Amino acid sequence: MTSRRQLLRSAVLGGGAGVLAATTMGSLGPEAAFGAAAPGIEPGTPDPNFAEGRIRDIKGNTLFVLGSNMVFHSIRVVDGTSLWKLGPVSFEQARPGDGLYARGVRMPDGVLAAESVWLNIINIKGHIRNITSDKIHLDHNGKEVLCHLVPGTSVAVYSDAPPSADLSLLRVGQHVQVLGAWRPDTNEADIATVFSPH
Amino acid sequence: MARSQPPAPPRDLLGPVQGEVSWFCCGTAWGPCSTTGRGACGTCNSGSMQHAWPNTSDNCLAITHPDTCGVGLSRRTCGFNHRTTALCSGASVVTSIADCGPQTDLFCGERSCCGATCASNRLIDLTPAAFSQIASLSAGLRPAEISTP
Repeated sequence: MTSRRQLLRSAVLGGGAGVLAATTMGSLGPEAAFGAAAPGIEPGTPDPNFAEGRIRDIKGNTLFVLGSNMVFHSIRVVDGTSLWKLGPVSFEQARPGDGLYARGVRMPDGVLAAESVWLNIINIKGHIRNITSDKIHLDHNGKEVLCHLVPGTSVAVYSDAPPSADLSLLRVGQHVQVLGAWRPDTNEADIATVFSPH
Repeated sequence: MARSQPPAPPRDLLGPVQGEVSWFCCGTAWGPCSTTGRGACGTCNSGSMQHAWPNTSDNCLAITHPDTCGVGLSRRTCGFNHRTTALCSGASVVTSIADCGPQTDLFCGERSCCGATCASNRLIDLTPAAFSQIASLSAGLRPAEISTP
């Protein structure tokens, strides 16, 4: 059976045929990939099939990314690549200056053929300093991160209850985890999900 | 004179434990992560196959306090390997300890589920490289099983 890795590889090396074959097999979204066996990577070591950094340039379907450790990455986006920026988005939503994490398959020429790209995603914990109708002031490691509620998008998850658009149960002083999208070069972010223990 | 009961052995010594897994950033990074540092072990890096564990030292345990949530966990130090299996997908990843965390006591009793499969209390945090092998980063929090490989 053709593996997802082989399909991504063929999508990059052989054009679009591999992508068409992949989509007839089912979703190329990230959740579909996680049941597949991942190649063994030594614990504690860098994963060659993962990249992080900020987009310096975009040419065609390739993101040129400078890693925070100053390692340069070329990340190829193909038809089946899933992109996230506060939610699923199209490739056109990627901008120079965006931070990202990407997972895919490293090609022989060093290009990362992307399965998934998460743009500006943050997942931070902290306690709530203040709440207004449209913002949460989060103390994250002693620094304030201003988290904006996005109508129709932001939800709260109160323990195991279903996600709720009602964030009124959050309280000043309590600890939460905020999953969201950073606004580049600011201390602000847009909220996707607030995880509350109760 | 009544003899006091010995404390219960750490739950993870008896076999796999179930709890919540999330992800955190460390090392050189962008955005709010840029000031995070390399973690308690001095080796933590978002792109490496690593994790944070709540009982890496006495100082660590004094911060994370999983016992407050009724969870006893073994002392495991920097470099120790755990296997984390996502209960949603069945995918697993083996990572080594690079930091102290998560702060279990701040989320006592929290439960996350996928369908009817649930797990309570935050027991482990993975780096983005590791978490993204078993779930989408956009999931944020997942029920998982933690064992030794």
